[in-house]
Amino acid sequence: MTELAIDVRHVVKRYADHTAVRDLSLQVPRGTVYGLLGPNGAGKTTTIRMLLDVIRPDAGSIALFGRSNREGGVLDRVGYLPEERGLYKKMQVRRVLRFLAELKGVPGAEADRRIDEWLERLSLKTPEKDWGEQKVDELSRGMQQKVQFIGTLLHDPDLVILDEPFSGLDPVNAQALKDTVVELHRRGRTVIFSTHLMDNAERLCDAVCIISRGEKVLDGGVQDVKRAHGGRQIALGLDRLAMNGAGPAVDAVLADRALVSRADDQNRFLELELAPGADPQVLLHRLVGAGAAITRFELVQPSLHQIFLETVGATGVEAGMSGQG
Amino acid sequence: MNKLLVVIKREFLERVRTRIFVLTTLLGPLLLAGITIFPAWLAAREKGSDTVAAVTVVDATGTTVGDRIARALADSLPPAAPASARPTVVRVATADLPAAERAATADVVAHRREGMLVLDTATLAGRNARYAGRNATSFADVQRLQDVVRREVLTARLEQAGFPAERVAPITAARLHLVTTSITDRGAGGSGVGGAIVAIVVAILLYATILLFGQQVLRSVVEEKTTRVAEVIVASVKPDILMAGKVLGVGAVGLLQQVLWFGGGLALVAYVLPFFHLDRQGVGAAGAARQAAQAADATASFVMPEISIGTIAAALLFFLLGYLLYSALFAAAGAMCNSDQEAQQAAIPVMLPLIGSAVFMQLVLQNPESGPARAFAWFPLTAPIIMPMRMALVSTTPLEVALVALGVAGAAALALWLGARIYRVGLLMYGKRPSVVELARWMRQAA
Repeated sequence: MTELAIDVRHVVKRYADHTAVRDLSLQVPRGTVYGLLGPNGAGKTTTIRMLLDVIRPDAGSIALFGRSNREGGVLDRVGYLPEERGLYKKMQVRRVLRFLAELKGVPGAEADRRIDEWLERLSLKTPEKDWGEQKVDELSRGMQQKVQFIGTLLHDPDLVILDEPFSGLDPVNAQALKDTVVELHRRGRTVIFSTHLMDNAERLCDAVCIISRGEKVLDGGVQDVKRAHGGRQIALGLDRLAMNGAGPAVDAVLADRALVSRADDQNRFLELELAPGADPQVLLHRLVGAGAAITRFELVQPSLHQIFLETVGATGVEAGMSGQG
Repeated sequence: MNKLLVVIKREFLERVRTRIFVLTTLLGPLLLAGITIFPAWLAAREKGSDTVAAVTVVDATGTTVGDRIARALADSLPPAAPASARPTVVRVATADLPAAERAATADVVAHRREGMLVLDTATLAGRNARYAGRNATSFADVQRLQDVVRREVLTARLEQAGFPAERVAPITAARLHLVTTSITDRGAGGSGVGGAIVAIVVAILLYATILLFGQQVLRSVVEEKTTRVAEVIVASVKPDILMAGKVLGVGAVGLLQQVLWFGGGLALVAYVLPFFHLDRQGVGAAGAARQAAQAADATASFVMPEISIGTIAAALLFFLLGYLLYSALFAAAGAMCNSDQEAQQAAIPVMLPLIGSAVFMQLVLQNPESGPARAFAWFPLTAPIIMPMRMALVSTTPLEVALVALGVAGAAALALWLGARIYRVGLLMYGKRPSVVELARWMRQAA
């Protein structure tokens, strides 16, 4: 029994006119919430489809829970919510869900029990109204999204794969999805989701992988990634009125290129970038010595958004990308 | 549960549950029985309509032949029939014929009479008589008029030639009914007309069901693509299994419906037809009743035995093979499309050979042993419809049937293989429809 839920090694996927994924390797430990980040067209969906054996890689290997994903039964432990969502419109909700569960090997009676549980949990079944008896196209879009979640999780998968799960969700369902991810994590399940919304990734993920143009740019635990890219940013708050003429001396310290490579006045505070090799403690000591009245001195970790922009580069970023979730 | 079974179950149950399935299943036997009974009813309807005697006989022969014809036409009327239903005779000189015809035509136009019968010297010479009327397109009515005119003119001519009237009448009154039986290599069996009707019914049924259920596979594939549900499904089950389940599930619905249709149709024919005989015998004058009974005998001898278990088995076998062949092609066509409109276009090349089969039915019916008819019976894309038709028309050897069935089975296997490859790649492809070159690439990709 391996500790890796997903083990992707040197996977390549070529299409006629371009290479969608080149030499991608990913290791996702069991029980983590993993973010697959990248701009549109970076190869996220192709990677996810390869994980699910919907398309085959041209080279490399993919193992889920230590077994090849082509082995029978392996994918029955996986729940998948695609980016483009849809259900059989003319089918009764309950029957769609039972069909999806049976496809994953859940016996009919057990499926029916779980369907009731889930419908009640997501308020699709109340004492007044049972939406499970309706046809799919009689439900609102938000309700259909809930039905789709249920379909993804009905067989209680060990690994949940979500492709751009937050796109097109209303705020209520987005919250429900976040709660669900947290709940899955608490129960030791592994969740991997792709997104270009860094906010969600930053809040939810234990680890991330950033890919761009089919290649991995960086990966690792969120804290490790931040540490590797952080510790050089300082937010400095000064009370200029309380400094009694010490201003020029303080400005001289900030202008020392051996200590501070860049100072950016943000009005309420200064954003400083430490010079290479400079020690923040030395900077603090020098500022105090110069008579600065300090209201804030904080080593700031960069946001995933900043790291993303830094690593992928502005050229890899398409319109519509932002850190706002 | 096996995933293939899960897919089959869904396709089957979702279709059987629909109102349209219940409706078509109920209406099918009615249609089937209707198609079978209608020609029999037509055949039994030799008496013609009740208004056939309501004609003006314009007689320019200068003899009594017009009166004889009127009397003969009135013979089959009940004694209480009103004057408006009886024939009237207008005797005119040849010179006044056009005026008399105009007057008689006006009567027909004004609905006072059904038609007019014009007798002139050409009639007496044995060449022709003319009839114009509202029922001129009714085969039975015209047949009846022609019988009467021919008989009375013959009688008149015989009398003119010196035969005594009392000896002429019994001879010319003979009404001959031609009973037809088709002879095949196996010997005599069934009526020729019966064989043709069965052939047409079976062929139309096969054409309609293969088209209907093949297109259901097409729609099912397109639905999964347009609603994007395909993406979730293929993450749980391999596309080949999904396609197989679809084809088998829809096919099972088709088979069930056909069995219900044939069973219901047979039951209806068996129940309705005897009832229908009694009805025919209960009305009309004695002579008409005898005719009807005679025709009904012929009806009974061709309808019942011809839709035999063998014919049904052959029809079902060719339905299954033809359905497999076409549904695979329809599935592939569906996988290439992104919308219902596109699918309708993509389905046209698949439908062409099917429509061709329907168009050539007439040709096969008229001359089942001709070269083209044989070719259509052997060509795998038309064989599922034409071969069972041929089997109902002429005698075929079991070897011939087996070889044709094998050919269709081979073509179906090839279609399933090709269809599965296109389906596998096409299912997750969106955007513009692929060209032939791209299709070839899909095939390689799916390898």
